Amino acid sequence: MKRLLVTLFFILVASNSLAHDMTPTYPELKPSYMEGLLVADFELLNKRNDVRYYEVAVFDKDWNPIPFVSSYSIFKLEYLERTKFSVYIRNTDRFNAMYVCSKSRSRQDPSPKTIISSTICSKFHGPGK
Amino acid sequence: MIKNPLLIIIFSIFTFSAFAEDVPIEGTVQSRCIITTDTPGVFGNPNAYTLTTAATDGGVLPVVRYDVTLADAYYAQITTPTSFSSSPTISETITWTGSTEVDAISDATGMASYETNKVTFGQTTQYDLTATGSTWFKSSVSATMGGNKAFPGGTYTAIVEAVCVAQ
Repeated sequence: MKRLLVTLFFILVASNSLAHDMTPTYPELKPSYMEGLLVADFELLNKRNDVRYYEVAVFDKDWNPIPFVSSYSIFKLEYLERTKFSVYIRNTDRFNAMYVCSKSRSRQDPSPKTIISSTICSKFHGPGK
Repeated sequence: MIKNPLLIIIFSIFTFSAFAEDVPIEGTVQSRCIITTDTPGVFGNPNAYTLTTAATDGGVLPVVRYDVTLADAYYAQITTPTSFSSSPTISETITWTGSTEVDAISDATGMASYETNKVTFGQTTQYDLTATGSTWFKSSVSATMGGNKAFPGGTYTAIVEAVCVAQ
Protein backbone atom coordinates (compact mmCIF):
# COMPACT_ATOMS: atom_id res chain seq x y z
CA MET A 1 0.00 0.00 0.00
CA LYS A 2 2.80 2.38 0.93
CA ARG A 3 4.57 1.62 -2.35
CA LEU A 4 1.35 2.29 -4.29
CA LEU A 5 0.94 5.66 -2.57
CA VAL A 6 4.55 6.57 -3.31
CA THR A 7 4.01 5.58 -6.94
CA LEU A 8 0.84 7.64 -7.22
CA PHE A 9 2.61 10.58 -5.60
CA PHE A 10 5.41 10.50 -8.14
CA ILE A 11 2.97 10.14 -11.02
CA LEU A 12 0.97 13.13 -9.77
CA VAL A 13 4.18 15.11 -9.46
CA ALA A 14 5.11 13.99 -12.97
CA SER A 15 1.86 15.38 -14.31
CA ASN A 16 3.18 18.87 -13.65
CA SER A 17 6.23 18.49 -15.82
CA LEU A 18 7.20 17.64 -19.38
CA ALA A 19 5.71 14.23 -20.00
CA HIS A 20 4.73 12.06 -22.93
CA ASP A 21 2.03 9.48 -22.34
CA MET A 22 0.41 6.89 -24.62
CA THR A 23 -2.02 4.14 -23.65
CA PRO A 24 -2.83 1.28 -23.69
CA THR A 25 0.38 -0.63 -23.13
CA TYR A 26 -1.11 -3.79 -24.58
CA PRO A 27 -3.65 -2.82 -27.26
CA GLU A 28 -6.16 -5.25 -28.66
CA LEU A 29 -6.56 -5.79 -32.38
CA LYS A 30 -10.23 -5.97 -33.34
CA PRO A 31 -12.05 -6.43 -36.63
CA SER A 32 -12.80 -3.07 -38.22
CA TYR A 33 -15.68 -1.94 -40.40
CA MET A 34 -13.39 -2.46 -43.40
CA GLU A 35 -13.03 -6.00 -44.59
CA GLY A 36 -9.47 -7.27 -44.29
CA LEU A 37 -8.41 -4.59 -41.82
CA LEU A 38 -7.95 -4.80 -38.07
CA VAL A 39 -8.05 -1.82 -35.77
CA ALA A 40 -6.57 -0.90 -32.41
CA ASP A 41 -7.40 2.22 -30.42
CA PHE A 42 -4.94 4.47 -28.60
CA GLU A 43 -4.85 7.63 -26.59
CA LEU A 44 -2.01 10.12 -26.69
CA LEU A 45 -1.46 12.89 -24.17
CA ASN A 46 1.02 15.71 -24.62
CA LYS A 47 2.30 17.04 -21.33
CA ARG A 48 5.51 18.30 -22.90
CA ASN A 49 5.29 22.02 -23.41
CA ASP A 50 8.38 21.88 -25.62
CA VAL A 51 6.79 19.47 -28.12
CA ARG A 52 3.83 19.94 -30.46
CA TYR A 53 4.17 17.00 -32.85
CA TYR A 54 4.13 13.26 -32.37
CA GLU A 55 4.76 10.69 -35.09
CA VAL A 56 3.08 7.29 -34.98
CA ALA A 57 4.51 4.15 -36.57
CA VAL A 58 4.00 0.39 -36.48
CA PHE A 59 6.86 -2.12 -36.36
CA ASP A 60 7.41 -5.87 -36.35
CA LYS A 61 9.49 -7.67 -33.74
CA ASP A 62 12.71 -6.71 -35.55
CA TRP A 63 11.67 -3.07 -35.76
CA ASN A 64 10.94 -3.18 -39.48
CA PRO A 65 8.10 -0.83 -40.41
CA ILE A 66 4.66 -2.34 -41.01
CA PRO A 67 2.17 -0.54 -43.28
CA PHE A 68 -0.69 1.02 -41.40
CA VAL A 69 -3.38 3.64 -41.74
CA SER A 70 -4.39 6.23 -39.22
CA SER A 71 -6.06 9.59 -39.37
CA TYR A 72 -2.59 11.15 -39.33
CA SER A 73 0.90 9.76 -39.11
CA ILE A 74 2.02 12.96 -37.38
CA PHE A 75 -0.33 14.40 -34.79
CA LYS A 76 -0.22 18.01 -33.74
CA LEU A 77 -1.02 18.26 -30.05
CA GLU A 78 -0.94 21.43 -28.03
CA TYR A 79 0.38 21.34 -24.50
CA LEU A 80 -1.94 19.25 -22.28
CA GLU A 81 -4.02 18.24 -25.30
CA ARG A 82 -5.23 14.66 -25.54
CA THR A 83 -6.26 12.76 -28.64
CA LYS A 84 -7.70 9.36 -29.37
CA PHE A 85 -6.70 7.66 -32.57
CA SER A 86 -7.09 4.33 -34.31
CA VAL A 87 -4.44 2.36 -36.14
CA TYR A 88 -5.56 0.07 -38.94
CA ILE A 89 -3.39 -2.78 -40.16
CA ARG A 90 -3.98 -5.50 -42.70
CA ASN A 91 -5.33 -8.79 -41.46
CA THR A 92 -2.33 -10.47 -43.06
CA ASP A 93 -0.02 -8.43 -40.80
CA ARG A 94 -1.80 -9.35 -37.61
CA PHE A 95 0.94 -11.72 -36.44
CA ASN A 96 3.80 -9.55 -37.71
CA ALA A 97 2.76 -6.25 -36.20
CA MET A 98 4.32 -6.05 -32.75
CA TYR A 99 4.86 -2.45 -31.69
CA VAL A 100 2.95 0.80 -32.13
CA CYS A 101 5.15 3.73 -31.20
CA SER A 102 4.60 7.44 -30.80
CA LYS A 103 7.71 9.59 -31.05
CA SER A 104 8.06 13.25 -30.18
CA ARG A 105 9.21 15.44 -33.05
CA SER A 106 11.17 18.51 -32.06
CA ARG A 107 11.54 21.73 -33.93
CA GLN A 108 14.88 23.38 -34.38
CA ASP A 109 15.91 25.39 -31.40
CA PRO A 110 18.63 28.05 -31.50
CA SER A 111 19.92 27.38 -27.99
CA PRO A 112 22.98 25.13 -27.57
CA LYS A 113 21.66 22.05 -25.83
CA THR A 114 20.69 18.42 -25.97
CA ILE A 115 17.05 17.85 -26.79
CA ILE A 116 15.35 14.80 -25.30
CA SER A 117 13.30 12.86 -27.81
CA SER A 118 10.70 10.60 -26.19
CA THR A 119 9.22 7.46 -27.71
CA ILE A 120 6.61 5.20 -26.14
CA CYS A 121 5.89 1.82 -27.71
CA SER A 122 2.81 -0.25 -27.02
CA LYS A 123 2.90 -3.93 -27.83
CA PHE A 124 0.44 -6.24 -29.53
CA HIS A 125 0.44 -9.80 -28.31
CA GLY A 126 1.26 -8.81 -24.74
CA PRO A 127 1.66 -11.23 -21.85
CA GLY A 128 -0.64 -14.22 -22.25
CA LYS A 129 -1.63 -13.37 -25.82
CA MET B 1 -54.55 25.52 -9.82
CA ILE B 2 -54.23 21.83 -10.52
CA LYS B 3 -57.38 19.98 -9.78
CA ASN B 4 -56.72 16.66 -11.40
CA PRO B 5 -54.97 14.25 -8.95
CA LEU B 6 -53.42 12.41 -11.87
CA LEU B 7 -51.60 15.55 -12.96
CA ILE B 8 -50.31 16.08 -9.44
CA ILE B 9 -48.88 12.56 -9.37
CA ILE B 10 -47.22 13.03 -12.76
CA PHE B 11 -45.58 16.30 -11.69
CA SER B 12 -44.41 14.68 -8.47
CA ILE B 13 -42.74 11.85 -10.35
CA PHE B 14 -40.91 14.28 -12.63
CA THR B 15 -39.82 16.34 -9.65
CA PHE B 16 -38.38 13.35 -7.81
CA SER B 17 -36.70 12.18 -10.98
CA ALA B 18 -34.89 15.47 -11.24
CA PHE B 19 -33.61 15.32 -7.68
CA ALA B 20 -32.48 11.73 -8.15
CA GLU B 21 -30.23 12.57 -11.12
CA ASP B 22 -26.63 11.45 -10.58
CA VAL B 23 -23.59 13.07 -12.09
CA PRO B 24 -21.13 10.34 -12.97
CA ILE B 25 -17.39 10.74 -12.78
CA GLU B 26 -15.68 8.09 -14.81
CA GLY B 27 -12.07 7.19 -15.05
CA THR B 28 -10.00 4.30 -16.25
CA VAL B 29 -6.79 3.16 -14.64
CA GLN B 30 -4.41 1.59 -17.12
CA SER B 31 -0.87 0.41 -16.90
CA ARG B 32 1.35 2.99 -18.49
CA CYS B 33 4.84 4.27 -18.99
CA ILE B 34 5.36 8.02 -18.93
CA ILE B 35 8.56 9.67 -20.12
CA THR B 36 9.31 13.03 -18.59
CA THR B 37 11.97 15.50 -19.57
CA ASP B 38 13.32 16.42 -16.18
CA THR B 39 16.31 18.48 -17.30
CA PRO B 40 17.23 19.34 -20.89
CA GLY B 41 20.98 19.18 -21.22
CA VAL B 42 23.26 22.05 -22.12
CA PHE B 43 26.62 21.86 -23.84
CA GLY B 44 29.56 23.45 -22.13
CA ASN B 45 32.55 24.50 -24.21
CA PRO B 46 35.64 24.01 -22.00
CA ASN B 47 38.00 24.42 -24.95
CA ALA B 48 37.76 25.22 -28.63
CA TYR B 49 37.46 21.62 -29.78
CA THR B 50 35.16 20.07 -27.16
CA LEU B 51 31.46 20.29 -26.41
CA THR B 52 30.35 18.43 -23.32
CA THR B 53 27.43 18.19 -20.91
CA ALA B 54 29.77 17.68 -17.94
CA ALA B 55 28.98 20.08 -15.12
CA THR B 56 32.65 20.65 -14.43
CA ASP B 57 32.97 22.02 -17.95
CA GLY B 58 30.00 24.33 -17.74
CA GLY B 59 27.47 21.91 -19.15
CA VAL B 60 24.25 20.45 -17.79
CA LEU B 61 23.49 16.73 -17.88
CA PRO B 62 20.19 15.85 -19.54
CA VAL B 63 17.94 13.96 -17.12
CA VAL B 64 14.91 11.97 -18.14
CA ARG B 65 12.43 10.33 -15.81
CA TYR B 66 10.42 7.16 -16.41
CA ASP B 67 7.24 6.56 -14.42
CA VAL B 68 5.73 3.10 -14.69
CA THR B 69 2.62 1.71 -13.03
CA LEU B 70 3.20 -1.94 -13.88
CA ALA B 71 6.28 -3.91 -12.90
CA ASP B 72 8.17 -6.10 -15.38
CA ALA B 73 6.25 -4.60 -18.30
CA TYR B 74 8.67 -2.08 -19.85
CA TYR B 75 12.22 -1.54 -21.02
CA ALA B 76 13.80 1.89 -20.84
CA GLN B 77 16.23 2.50 -23.71
CA ILE B 78 18.26 5.68 -23.74
CA THR B 79 20.49 6.52 -26.67
CA THR B 80 23.07 9.27 -26.61
CA PRO B 81 23.68 11.19 -29.85
CA THR B 82 26.25 10.45 -32.52
CA SER B 83 25.60 13.56 -34.57
CA PHE B 84 24.28 17.06 -34.20
CA SER B 85 20.67 17.63 -35.16
CA SER B 86 21.58 21.21 -36.01
CA SER B 87 24.97 22.87 -36.22
CA PRO B 88 27.13 25.01 -38.46
CA THR B 89 28.80 23.23 -41.36
CA ILE B 90 31.62 21.01 -40.11
CA SER B 91 34.13 19.33 -42.39
CA GLU B 92 36.14 17.49 -39.74
CA THR B 93 35.24 14.16 -38.13
CA ILE B 94 33.71 14.41 -34.69
CA THR B 95 34.33 11.83 -32.00
CA TRP B 96 31.29 11.21 -29.81
CA THR B 97 31.26 9.64 -26.39
CA GLY B 98 28.18 9.05 -24.30
CA SER B 99 26.94 7.08 -21.36
CA THR B 100 23.80 6.79 -19.28
CA GLU B 101 23.35 5.92 -15.63
CA VAL B 102 20.66 5.90 -12.98
CA ASP B 103 20.46 9.27 -11.27
CA ALA B 104 17.73 8.65 -8.71
CA ILE B 105 15.07 6.08 -7.86
CA SER B 106 11.77 6.18 -5.99
CA ASP B 107 12.03 2.62 -4.66
CA ALA B 108 15.37 1.96 -3.04
CA THR B 109 14.65 -1.75 -2.70
CA GLY B 110 12.97 -2.66 -5.96
CA MET B 111 15.16 -0.51 -8.19
CA ALA B 112 18.53 -0.96 -6.52
CA SER B 113 19.74 -3.38 -9.18
CA TYR B 114 18.86 -1.24 -12.19
CA GLU B 115 22.36 0.13 -12.65
CA THR B 116 24.16 -3.19 -12.24
CA ASN B 117 21.72 -5.01 -14.53
CA LYS B 118 21.76 -2.47 -17.35
CA VAL B 119 22.71 -3.60 -20.83
CA THR B 120 24.68 -1.33 -23.16
CA PHE B 121 24.87 -1.78 -26.91
CA GLY B 122 26.52 0.93 -28.95
CA GLN B 123 25.28 4.28 -27.71
CA THR B 124 22.12 2.72 -26.24
CA THR B 125 21.65 1.70 -22.64
CA GLN B 126 18.73 -0.54 -21.75
CA TYR B 127 17.16 -0.96 -18.32
CA ASP B 128 14.58 -3.57 -17.37
CA LEU B 129 12.00 -1.67 -15.32
CA THR B 130 11.16 -4.39 -12.83
CA ALA B 131 9.45 -2.20 -10.26
CA THR B 132 6.68 0.37 -10.26
CA GLY B 133 7.57 3.98 -9.57
CA SER B 134 9.90 6.62 -10.94
CA THR B 135 13.47 6.36 -12.13
CA TRP B 136 15.68 9.26 -13.19
CA PHE B 137 18.40 8.62 -15.75
CA LYS B 138 21.19 11.04 -16.62
CA SER B 139 23.29 10.96 -19.75
CA SER B 140 26.76 12.30 -20.35
CA VAL B 141 27.53 13.44 -23.87
CA SER B 142 30.77 14.74 -25.30
CA ALA B 143 31.76 15.73 -28.83
CA THR B 144 35.38 16.34 -29.78
CA MET B 145 36.47 17.83 -33.07
CA GLY B 146 39.04 15.81 -34.99
CA GLY B 147 42.62 17.04 -35.02
CA ASN B 148 41.86 19.28 -32.05
CA LYS B 149 40.49 21.86 -34.45
CA ALA B 150 38.08 24.45 -33.18
CA PHE B 151 34.34 24.13 -33.53
CA PRO B 152 33.05 26.87 -35.85
CA GLY B 153 31.02 29.52 -34.10
CA GLY B 154 27.30 28.84 -34.02
CA THR B 155 24.64 26.87 -32.25
CA TYR B 156 24.92 23.13 -31.70
CA THR B 157 22.02 20.87 -30.82
CA ALA B 158 21.98 17.10 -30.31
CA ILE B 159 19.19 14.72 -29.40
CA VAL B 160 19.09 12.14 -26.61
CA GLU B 161 16.49 9.50 -27.42
CA ALA B 162 14.47 8.10 -24.54
CA VAL B 163 12.34 5.11 -25.45
CA CYS B 164 9.92 3.10 -23.32
CA VAL B 165 9.06 -0.26 -24.91
CA ALA B 166 6.40 -2.61 -23.65
CA GLN B 167 7.86 -6.08 -22.94
